[in-house]
Amino acid sequence: MWWQWPHWLPLAVLVPLGGGVVTPAVARGSARRAWGWAAGVSAATVAVSLALVIRVARGGPFSYAFGGWQPPYGIEFRFDEVSAFAFVVAFLGALAIVFSRQYAPHALAEPRVPYYYTLLLLDIAGLIGFSVTGDLFNMYVFMEIVSLTGYALVAISGERIAEMAAFKYLVLGAVSSLLALFGIGMLYGVTGTLNIADAASRLGAAASTMPVIVAVALLVLGFMVKAALFPLHVWLPDAHAIAPSPVSAVLSGLVVKLGLVGMLRLYGVVYASRAVDLSSLNWLLTWLGAVSIVMGAFFAIFQDDIKMMLAYSTISNIGYIVMGFGLASQYALVGAAVHIFNHALIKSALFLAAGAIIYQTGYRRLSDLRGVGRGMPLTAAALSVGAVSIVGIPPTAGFLCKWYIALGAFEAKRAAFGFALVFGALFIFVYYIRMVNAFYFQEPVHADVTHVGDPPLSMLVPVWILAALCLIMGLAGKVPLTFVAPAVSRLLGPLGG
Amino acid sequence: MEAVDVRVLLAPAISFACSGLVFLMGRNVFWRRFWSLGAASLKFVVVLSMLPAALAGKTLVWNLIEFTPGIGIAFRADALGMFFALVSSALWLITTVYAIGYMEPEHAKVRFFGFFALCVSTTVGVAFAENLLTLFVFYETLTICTYPLVIHEETPEALRAGRKYLAYTLSGGACILLGAALTYQVAGTLTLSKPGIVPASADVRTLAVLFATLIAGFGVKAAVMPLHGWLPSAMVAPTPVSALLHAVAVVKVGAFGVLRVVYNIFGVELLKRLGFALPLAYLAAFTIIAGSVAALFQDNLKRRLAYSTVSQLSYIVLGAALLTPASASAAVAHIANQAFAKITMFFAAGAIQRTTGKTQVHELGGIGKQMPLTMAAFTVASLSFVGMPLTGGFITKWYLSVGAFESGMWWFALIMVASSLLNAAYWLPIVYLAFLKGPQEVAAAPREAKPSLLVPTVACAVWVLVLGTTSDVPGMPFALARAAVEFVFKM
Repeated sequence: MWWQWPHWLPLAVLVPLGGGVVTPAVARGSARRAWGWAAGVSAATVAVSLALVIRVARGGPFSYAFGGWQPPYGIEFRFDEVSAFAFVVAFLGALAIVFSRQYAPHALAEPRVPYYYTLLLLDIAGLIGFSVTGDLFNMYVFMEIVSLTGYALVAISGERIAEMAAFKYLVLGAVSSLLALFGIGMLYGVTGTLNIADAASRLGAAASTMPVIVAVALLVLGFMVKAALFPLHVWLPDAHAIAPSPVSAVLSGLVVKLGLVGMLRLYGVVYASRAVDLSSLNWLLTWLGAVSIVMGAFFAIFQDDIKMMLAYSTISNIGYIVMGFGLASQYALVGAAVHIFNHALIKSALFLAAGAIIYQTGYRRLSDLRGVGRGMPLTAAALSVGAVSIVGIPPTAGFLCKWYIALGAFEAKRAAFGFALVFGALFIFVYYIRMVNAFYFQEPVHADVTHVGDPPLSMLVPVWILAALCLIMGLAGKVPLTFVAPAVSRLLGPLGG
Repeated sequence: MEAVDVRVLLAPAISFACSGLVFLMGRNVFWRRFWSLGAASLKFVVVLSMLPAALAGKTLVWNLIEFTPGIGIAFRADALGMFFALVSSALWLITTVYAIGYMEPEHAKVRFFGFFALCVSTTVGVAFAENLLTLFVFYETLTICTYPLVIHEETPEALRAGRKYLAYTLSGGACILLGAALTYQVAGTLTLSKPGIVPASADVRTLAVLFATLIAGFGVKAAVMPLHGWLPSAMVAPTPVSALLHAVAVVKVGAFGVLRVVYNIFGVELLKRLGFALPLAYLAAFTIIAGSVAALFQDNLKRRLAYSTVSQLSYIVLGAALLTPASASAAVAHIANQAFAKITMFFAAGAIQRTTGKTQVHELGGIGKQMPLTMAAFTVASLSFVGMPLTGGFITKWYLSVGAFESGMWWFALIMVASSLLNAAYWLPIVYLAFLKGPQEVAAAPREAKPSLLVPTVACAVWVLVLGTTSDVPGMPFALARAAVEFVFKM
């Protein structure tokens, strides 16, 4: 079958990487040509990563050895159920690029548009590479590709405030990358290998556990800054709110997940080798997850800027996922892993819909946007679907993670965290209901808002594809849940639980 | 005996499709009315056509999709579910007629009728839910769909009431979610098709927490004190919404959930052994009395109705908590008895408000001479709440009292007596005011509400009398209530 061709795996990274690099050359200064090329490249990436997902669903995880050099000596790409994140990346990246057709020339100076697509495609390539690599050092390399393009994308509008946000992001991002690099270096020092699977088998034989503990601590710290777990979140709100909306969707939906996918890889190594006991780390992560949920919601309540609200909501959702990691039971981890995918969908729907509203009306504050539900009925409806979904009202996609992590909390005999999660979600509802109230039920401040009309199709179609997926992925929740379950069983298997 | 039958799916699906059509074509008055009335009638016919099967002890099922591994969104029309579905689909039809008349001068009618249909869809979804997760899915969807109806006026007061409503009901939903997760952990299943799924061997403290969580969750919508605060505030909604949602759909979903928890999650046997139901019975008794006392002091007619609802709903909770067959049949039958009587009163209140502009009790002097049919209907409903024989309310009170004696806790029968007196104390003065007081010159010109408001009011009042006189007639609602009870008590 077509999806069995072994070279799809490297192509999933090489297509967007190569396509991104040549974008300015292909575009020759035309924003329209740049868009066409980028859309084509991203569509190809979606097709390639779809092949990989089909293959892993049919036959389980598989690897690719570059140049025929077998791991652990050669470079390995390894595709398992968690790597299916690559497909979500390709898919959402493609939608963000489609959305940018009219948005990018509007938000950026025309000559910058081709470079904008280059950066987006490189970002996608980095994310895909990060989720499929089987090598610790390559993980760092791809992480840096993602981070560097991320800084540039935040700053790309060239406004002063954007540059400041990007700088803040850069400083914290660089520190976290260095921490992760130190951690990887120490793991290399202890095990003498950079291959993830190989490291997992050798770590158990480490002479002393202290370096391993330090290495794990450094990696976790690095990853949690990338994931913006409270209190390491300070860089996130400005960067995500100020970036152009398609970029916000990619940053909030995908880039923060880098730290979480990284955590799953790290768990894979440490749990399999049983080199160190992670229960105190997990205890800490569960607590920080709970605090993150509440604090993210708390800060969001005081925001008037709609993108700022969405940015803080990401911090809460990262809290869900990290809490699921910390509970370390089958249900909780499945819920957390699925929420990595689902949150990407939901948050992209929200950011793109918000972007469309800002594009059409020119306002971004809730107080200015009153009555926009009448002016842009389809867009506001999509945003409302996203809001209901992210709060976790069944049967939408956001509900699955709440249900599974609640089950997982009881499974792990830590019912209090199920309680914290479910009631934390109510807190999140407070500001989303403010948004819905402003859109539909409050007297408009600006009369023009009520008759601006829905945005062009290049924006409306991606927004509604995502909004529909918020519903479909909830109703068909069985599909992602059964898909990631084997990966979680494999992860927890060595713990005997 | 179970049979796969698509009608179980159609019942919620019809009103779901109706809401879609209203949103799409509702700007046109004709299509809006056509789809609303057409779907309401069709749905009523579909649910009614399932009645013979339910009475014959046949249960119709339909598995829609597997939602999460092992737990599906599945529908199952057992006798209890059928009873609730029949009540809500019958009242949807009547209320739609009323709402078309009542909402004529209002704004945003597309939104109103669209969400109205969605609410009924979810209510029937709750009635037919095969497992606790399906029930929860519809329970939460109902919360969301009622929000635009509650704040229909879009005034700051309405928005405030809406916030309060969401805060209460979503917290309740959160409790149910946790309870469902814990049930799954304890029992390994969530099905509602058995008389009890929780294993008796489980840890008693865990079971206590489980019972408290689930009852607290459903108790919010059932307005069991002290979780009732949202209900009086939510009376800012237009009258048809208050009528259907806050006397029938939303609050009954809560009461129905309590019945499911008691009968299908825990089971009568286990609860008798554990003794958890007794505190619930005391709480319900307290609510019955306290709700009535609060109603005494309300001058706004709709607020008086709201507190009366708080009190009446706890009859259902009390009936469930007494754990005897007689009290159980009272609890089930009261779903219909209270619904028809209360909706009559709401319709009357709305008709008075639309025709004369009066909303306060003290303004109602002589209104009976002006609107004799409306007030006659109101009087029938009042007598039902007082518990006069030949009305639906009497059936409830009779069987609840019998149940109280059966359970050996005769003092709960005294609660019934006290409640009757209190109901008389706050309803009969209105009847007295309406017919025997007030300016004489107004009496000269009877001016009833328009037919679309009057006919539903009178129809519901007539049905209250039917409910009160047909408790021994086979095929009538009480027979269905008995069938539900027989299953629960394995008789």
